[in-house]
Amino acid sequence: MKLKNLTAVLIAAALSLSLMCATVSAVDPYTTYNYDAWYNALPSQAGYEVVQTVNYRDIGLERVQDPTSEFYISDDENVNFSDMKDFFVSKKGEIYIVDTGNNRIVKLSSDFELLAVFKTFPGSTSKHIVTDEEGNEIEVDADNLKAPYGIFVDEDDVMYIADRDNQRIVKCVAETPTTARILQEYYKPETALYESQSFYCTKVLVDAAKNVYVICPAVNKGAIMFSDSGSFVGYYGANRVEVTADVIRNKLWRKIASEEQIASLTKSTPVEYANFDIDDEGFIYTVTEVANATTDAVKKMNPAGYNILERTADNNSFGDQISVTYNGTTYATRLTDIAVSDDKFINILDYTSGRVFQYDERCNLLFIFGFDQEEQRGGFSNPNAIETWEDKIYILDGRNNDITVFGMTEFGSYVHEAIALHNQGLYEEAYDIWKEVLKRDGAYYMGLVGVTKALYNQDDYEGAMKYSKLSYYSKEYDKAFEANRQEGLRKNFTLYVFIILALVILYIVVKVLQRKGKIPQKLIATGIGKLADGCKNIAVSVVDKVKKGGRGK
Amino acid sequence: MIYDMKPWAWVKHVIFHPTEGFEDMRWKKAGSLKIAFFIVFLLFASQVFSTRYGGFAYNPRGYSDIFNIVPILVQSVAYYATWVVANWSLCTLFDGEGNMRRVAIYSAYALVPFIIGNFLSTAISYFLTLDESIWYTAIYQIGLWWSVILMIFGMKACHQYNFTVTIVTMIFTVVGMLIILILLALIMSLFQQVYVFFATIYTEILYRVRS
Repeated sequence: MKLKNLTAVLIAAALSLSLMCATVSAVDPYTTYNYDAWYNALPSQAGYEVVQTVNYRDIGLERVQDPTSEFYISDDENVNFSDMKDFFVSKKGEIYIVDTGNNRIVKLSSDFELLAVFKTFPGSTSKHIVTDEEGNEIEVDADNLKAPYGIFVDEDDVMYIADRDNQRIVKCVAETPTTARILQEYYKPETALYESQSFYCTKVLVDAAKNVYVICPAVNKGAIMFSDSGSFVGYYGANRVEVTADVIRNKLWRKIASEEQIASLTKSTPVEYANFDIDDEGFIYTVTEVANATTDAVKKMNPAGYNILERTADNNSFGDQISVTYNGTTYATRLTDIAVSDDKFINILDYTSGRVFQYDERCNLLFIFGFDQEEQRGGFSNPNAIETWEDKIYILDGRNNDITVFGMTEFGSYVHEAIALHNQGLYEEAYDIWKEVLKRDGAYYMGLVGVTKALYNQDDYEGAMKYSKLSYYSKEYDKAFEANRQEGLRKNFTLYVFIILALVILYIVVKVLQRKGKIPQKLIATGIGKLADGCKNIAVSVVDKVKKGGRGK
Repeated sequence: MIYDMKPWAWVKHVIFHPTEGFEDMRWKKAGSLKIAFFIVFLLFASQVFSTRYGGFAYNPRGYSDIFNIVPILVQSVAYYATWVVANWSLCTLFDGEGNMRRVAIYSAYALVPFIIGNFLSTAISYFLTLDESIWYTAIYQIGLWWSVILMIFGMKACHQYNFTVTIVTMIFTVVGMLIILILLALIMSLFQQVYVFFATIYTEILYRVRS
């Protein structure tokens, strides 16, 4: 009996404890927000929440020092990550981390199990000249990386690594858990078209035709494009010059100034983009990492290098809308990386604030999450790269030396489901889901827009007008208003015609009576005047009475 | 025509007889300052109305909760006042015959079509879609340019100028308005600093006295 009681108490305690845990995990550790139509920040539901953070201990990176392990490299190999700059998540969910400070590539499975640590890369065609301890210059095989900055992996698991300080792109394939054989290298193009002296490549990307696109921060003509064979093709999709007062002044001076004066003027050059990503259809998305860039901050380019967002996007501003000055430091959005998920959601990482901005394919803002409190889970210090896999979002932090995994919340999945239908034009199908979204966040802008469009399609114009007012969507309001007006006219057509006819008849009757002299001319001329006089008299008498009354008392 | 009209009839007369109306009014020494100030108040009211109301498609900002009356006050009453002051100050130097009372009355009477256009266009926007915005713009623009024409002839009659001199003085009046407004802004910021200075001295003395 006693034992039974005890177990009952224990079970109850366990239950309540687990319930408590559930409530604790249901509350977000930080406040998320979203922008309304006026670009005011409003508190909102979180679309994503932190599922997991992964550091070197979780994946067992100590094994690089363990001679018995297959990942053994050397006894003094750094077991932690160091200043990771980039990573890549392949279609299978395998994660390739560019461990920049340790000059190696770490490959993980989708469950964060260590698969390989690539440290040596045999097969290079070139030699490196190194100065040894005695000051002699000796040639060494270029079989290691030197500050790799970027990586791309194609569907055949061929890695393309931007080997920054070796000034080359390495195309290689895994050989053993610690080595990868170089298949090809891409060096600085030896043509007159390539004007830069160096080839410090930071990011690399490969399209379906195996063209290699390389970003060098020193080159502002766009990405450097190589064909599969390794020959230089040209530049791809340069940014435009952002129009500032300086640029306009320079342009004016150029019109007037002499040749020599022009030579001394500063050239207006576009800002190179910081990072890019490619989607399944071959569109390349780029971000420009300049504080508060407005021109070409985010681009979606077709293979010809033409930015198609100019035509298809509903919105053209990305990141936080205003700079914030806090404790003497100004925080302005710096978009450092972009990742496009399989279902076309665009995720942009803001380096300054550690926030991720998720947009749909038409650039409507969906969620903002993440923050810059590095001590806390889900906060970042040096967020360097973002990747997506299935419905998860991975963020790489180069200072915290970890990867944070964000998973979708219920709210997030509702929004995704609805927006997918919405962008296909299936507004009515999305209606119920948007209603669920609005239950959770009544000011959710896309939700209001979605409901507006659905109601309009269902011929509920009054409702559409109401919701478009809530979302300040004046174009949609105008459509609904026009339809509503037309409907009202059609319904009450007889009434309106009757009123107009009655007015016309009344006018004619009055005119006829007037001509016949049945209404005295004076009445018409002074009718209004007499009315006014009468009112005045009444008013005066009232005032008089009040005055007299006052005196009487 | 009988020119012994009631004050409000003069407003109507002036509006519908742009070239002659003001001359008649000057000749009969008509025009009421009270009505002029009432018209200026209406100008302010029409500005408030067009900012706060109107069809949603035309003026979504009007449906925002944020409303600041100060800019509207400046754009109506303050502009009118500076216009009157600047025009009078300038035209007395340019051999203009108008006194300040007349400038105030004639300028205010000339504003009536603009006020009506402003009210009407805002009201009609409740019934119009964006495709039909031509009606909205037309009403507003007609009111505006009617007022401009009235203003030109009003100033011409007021100061007994020819046409060219009227235009030139009006342009200079606008420049004068700018100067007055800039000076006002300067004086305000100066007085603020003076106030801060004395406030600091006051608190400083207070600290000394207390300790």
